[in-house]
Amino acid sequence: MKPGRVGAIAGRIVRQFRHDPRTLGLIVVVPLVVMMLIGYLIGDSGKEPLPVAVVAGGSPFAPTFVRTLDDQSAIEVVVTTDDETARRQVGEGDIAGAVELPSSPGGPIVVVVAGTDPGVQGPVMAATAAALRQVATSLGLSSPLQVTVDRLSGAGRLSTIDAYAPVLEVVFAFFFTFLLTSVAFLRERSSGTLDRLMASPATRLEVLLGYLLGFVGFALLQALIILAYAVWVLNVNIAGPDWVVLLVIVLLVIGSVNLGIALSFYARNELQVVQFIPLVLLPQVFLGGLFWPVQTLWAPLRWLSQVFPLTHAAVALREVFIAGVGFAEVRGRLLALVAFAVAMVVLGVLALRKQRA
Amino acid sequence: MSTLDTPAIVAHRLVRTFGAVRALDGLDLEVPARTILGLLGPNGSGKTTFIRVLAGLLRPTAGDVLVLGRHPGLETAPHVGYMTQAPALYDDLPVRDNLVFFGRLFGLSTREAKVRADDLIALVSLTEKARTLVRDLSGGMRQRTNLACAMIHRPRLLLLDEPTVGVDPELRVGLWDHFRSLNAEGSTVLVTTHVMEEADRCDAVVLIDAGRTIAEGTPAELRERAGASTIEDAYLWFANRRGEKAS
Repeated sequence: MKPGRVGAIAGRIVRQFRHDPRTLGLIVVVPLVVMMLIGYLIGDSGKEPLPVAVVAGGSPFAPTFVRTLDDQSAIEVVVTTDDETARRQVGEGDIAGAVELPSSPGGPIVVVVAGTDPGVQGPVMAATAAALRQVATSLGLSSPLQVTVDRLSGAGRLSTIDAYAPVLEVVFAFFFTFLLTSVAFLRERSSGTLDRLMASPATRLEVLLGYLLGFVGFALLQALIILAYAVWVLNVNIAGPDWVVLLVIVLLVIGSVNLGIALSFYARNELQVVQFIPLVLLPQVFLGGLFWPVQTLWAPLRWLSQVFPLTHAAVALREVFIAGVGFAEVRGRLLALVAFAVAMVVLGVLALRKQRA
Repeated sequence: MSTLDTPAIVAHRLVRTFGAVRALDGLDLEVPARTILGLLGPNGSGKTTFIRVLAGLLRPTAGDVLVLGRHPGLETAPHVGYMTQAPALYDDLPVRDNLVFFGRLFGLSTREAKVRADDLIALVSLTEKARTLVRDLSGGMRQRTNLACAMIHRPRLLLLDEPTVGVDPELRVGLWDHFRSLNAEGSTVLVTTHVMEEADRCDAVVLIDAGRTIAEGTPAELRERAGASTIEDAYLWFANRRGEKAS
């Protein structure tokens, strides 16, 4: 072995990076973005509390309970007397939960949660239990107060796979599709055939739509394999209509194909495409409400999460899978997915302008 | 859009810059219809940039350019064939499928494209390889497939960017026969080359250097004006003279 040769190879690699500032920039930026997001999400500071309604109902210990619950940083209490409105707001996701207190000391305490998102339900249950323990201590009760949980949807307690199946479906459908199209389109450019396309009478929109049609079938096949495995092998239950599930997936995949094409114009080589993956995928996974609830995010991040297709696809699938809702209830989310797909076609057309005079 | 006598290409004080580099620096050139014009210049003289402007892939920075009487773009694209310097083909498709695809892209029906593809495959002597994947072809075969793709829609103007680089002499003669036969059907052919002896096969030759025209004429005229016996010597004479003028 000659150290000189090893040194020459190592030196060449370093020199190549020096002439590739974009790759070098991504090497620095990507881990920074990822660590900033993780640090923010796992840390306690800078998060918004989850709104929880307390239906006082004339309970003698209501003031103590409201104070102790509100003292917890993860929760913000809204006091109300209208239990029907509170339940409706929980169902629509406007508030994270509602605690219904009894009018007499021995009556039942009911915690109402939507039951579709473990990321929301967990903190609400934990905070309520902690507050009730303090109330019991201050009242000098020997036994803990009894609580019943009322999930507005979902049959009983969610299994982990039921809770996360919708999330996994959207993440992998999106990821695989993006990977497939971005690399394929990059090859079109590096092989020179894109020049041929651009020197032909084909318009940019024709090229993009042709690509979309060609890829959507394969991308959909991947998404359906994931879905079929979840349903038939993992026994994930889909409470709502299957066709709405398919519609969500089709729209998500279309958006992802277009994103892959649009972004592949900003990558000079395969390495950069791979570097784009964490940049495109992780913020959506972290901020899209897939594992951490969107409601607790700092307001600007919450707005950002509304731009991400994964946010809308995950909420829509969760509601259809677990709450069993239909088309009408997820209409807004579908519209957001359509808007994203259209925006990506526009971005693709703009990117193609660089390829033609 | 243009009469038969409209010049195929007119470039007037054409400039194209890439950052600080002036790839085309006031190029003047006119190519009459139905001629074979050779664009001669060393590497980096602006030949490929000029062809990419004509193909509608690059916008001029300044100056004017007309292709078949129009600005290069979607309107001229159906009448222009562009053969890239490196073969631009789909490696994982057979030869014939590549041709049919580009034919469809230029508006031929599938049936027309197949008929035309088979004719062209025969013309470039690849009939036995029609169903072979491009990635399994030799370099010369790829180059011939590349040429066939550029001719699939019977373009009125054929832009050939160093079509004979890396091609053996026998095939080079064959390719020139194709250019001649296409020209005989009424097409204009613009060939760039830095192989000087190829210039003698052209009706007219334009010598360029550093993005500018330094001389034009028939090969015989250029040799005579330079008092040279070969085009190569003539090129050096013109390039030298321009260098002396500049200094």
